[in-house]
Amino acid sequence: MNNDGYYEAYWPRSPRQQLMRELAPRLDTLEGKTVAQLWDELFKGDVVFDLLEEGLKQRYPGVNFVSWRVFGSTHGGKEREVLAALPGRLKALGVDAVVSGMAC
Amino acid sequence: MLRASAVCEAAGFPTSSLTCEGFVRQAAVTSVGIGMPNIPIAVVPGHIGTKTAQELRDDVLNVTIDDVVRNLTVTPDAQGEAAEPRARDIVVRGGFKAVNRYFVEHEYSDGLPIVPPTREEIESFLRFTDRAPDESLGTLLPDKRAATIWSIAVNGVMAGCRPEYMPILVALIEAMCDPNYGVEHSGNTPGADTLIILNGPIVKALGFNYTQGALRDGFLPNTSIGRFWRLYLRNVAGFLLHKTDKATYGNTWRVVLAENEDVLAKIGWDPVSADMGFTAGDNTVTIARYTGGGSLSSVSGSTPEEMLPYLADSVQRFNNWQITFTTSHGMGTLRPLIVVSPIIAETLAKAGWSKGDVKRYVYDHARRPAYDFQRQLRDWNIRGVWDLKDDVTGGRIPNAFYESDDPNRMVPIVWKPDDYMIAVSGDPLRNNAYVFAHNGFLGYPTAKKIQLPKSWNQLLSQRD
Repeated sequence: MNNDGYYEAYWPRSPRQQLMRELAPRLDTLEGKTVAQLWDELFKGDVVFDLLEEGLKQRYPGVNFVSWRVFGSTHGGKEREVLAALPGRLKALGVDAVVSGMAC
Repeated sequence: MLRASAVCEAAGFPTSSLTCEGFVRQAAVTSVGIGMPNIPIAVVPGHIGTKTAQELRDDVLNVTIDDVVRNLTVTPDAQGEAAEPRARDIVVRGGFKAVNRYFVEHEYSDGLPIVPPTREEIESFLRFTDRAPDESLGTLLPDKRAATIWSIAVNGVMAGCRPEYMPILVALIEAMCDPNYGVEHSGNTPGADTLIILNGPIVKALGFNYTQGALRDGFLPNTSIGRFWRLYLRNVAGFLLHKTDKATYGNTWRVVLAENEDVLAKIGWDPVSADMGFTAGDNTVTIARYTGGGSLSSVSGSTPEEMLPYLADSVQRFNNWQITFTTSHGMGTLRPLIVVSPIIAETLAKAGWSKGDVKRYVYDHARRPAYDFQRQLRDWNIRGVWDLKDDVTGGRIPNAFYESDDPNRMVPIVWKPDDYMIAVSGDPLRNNAYVFAHNGFLGYPTAKKIQLPKSWNQLLSQRD
């Protein structure tokens, strides 16, 4: 005798609400461009950004940087406010591209 | 970090996201939830916290920098989204074993057998709410799925809950959706787990354990609702181990902690529900994430002055690295929880001490030397650009953290006395306590009122 029963089980998830979005257009070069640094104030990002600045300037002498110090932490008690203000701040600062860290 | 990058990409700025090797898979899964499955990352090999300065330099300049240049100048290949079932699709038909095998294989289960969510079972749960099955309480990261009443019922069935728990389950998911709670952080590496505190007459009406063994599995409502929480995080929010849940260790789910409101009423202390802004006697859930903590055995004494030094000392010891949530980017979001047994609460109250008095005492005495506080965060938790003086003089944290230049000055571990939470539960006649180490804004205390259906009493009388 089979005591395993018979069940019709429903999907336990629900549909994703996020539509797929396009990425921003990429740059043709970093030469002469301004790169913003965004940091969550964790995992030695300050050291990593210094190293990246050094290395990128060797490859692209005309590249400029806007320091993470300008933006404040992107991962803290004020994350939502900081992120909401980002597009406006990046435009005002003449930023062309962003490097964001650190996930560790 | 990826959330910041997504905001930039949507605004037209190309990004490169710096990711340690161990987070590459999480980034890939999270990127689907934010709608940008091809958002590019730049890898830092290994983990940054264990490298010498030279090793880090070599890795960034030889590996990471190439990724950064490519990320910003080359358009990543488009990536599609895998097809999924629809909201009310039956995904498997068969016997108990076959259903459970399917749910494990599709990562819908926590590893224990689930109760098959059949239409009959789901509908028995839906009868215990006046809300429509398709109503969404919000959208949950990282998967960005709708928190529907239907999905709450399905996962409640799976967890082994009884239908009459449904009003509590709905309130819990309302709390999960509250932005102040911060569900999107539920996969962070310290592996904090949520504690649910239950208040109100519903504690007794549904038979929750609120006395001896209050935090141990063994009572159906306490245990199954705790399991429901974790299943919902898995199935609807989307936290899966080895993908989006990056707990280094983690724990099994916590069972529901029900407060002993008989004792609270007797001694004139407010329940946690009132501390969270509701009226004492309301049915409420309060959630917060805790990274750990521990039990205090034998809190002895016949007066507050004899009992509380041990309690305050333990609060400071158990909330160790968690002071990262007190300062700087944590912005005062550390909310340690102290659970005292009824006999301790009664002894304190007998001396005329209110809950507020106890919080004030703990604030004044749960302290550590400033040099030790700074060493923990600056040197041990590698936040090299930070110190207490800068935060106080910059107006970011209260003056209590920098009242002199004496490195031995004692500083608090929270911003104000009311940052401490106190609950009363456990063995009524044992003088033990439990301190929970809080996880700050990554699971901030959030409470919701439990809405009972209009026909609650009738439904309860008709239950099996």
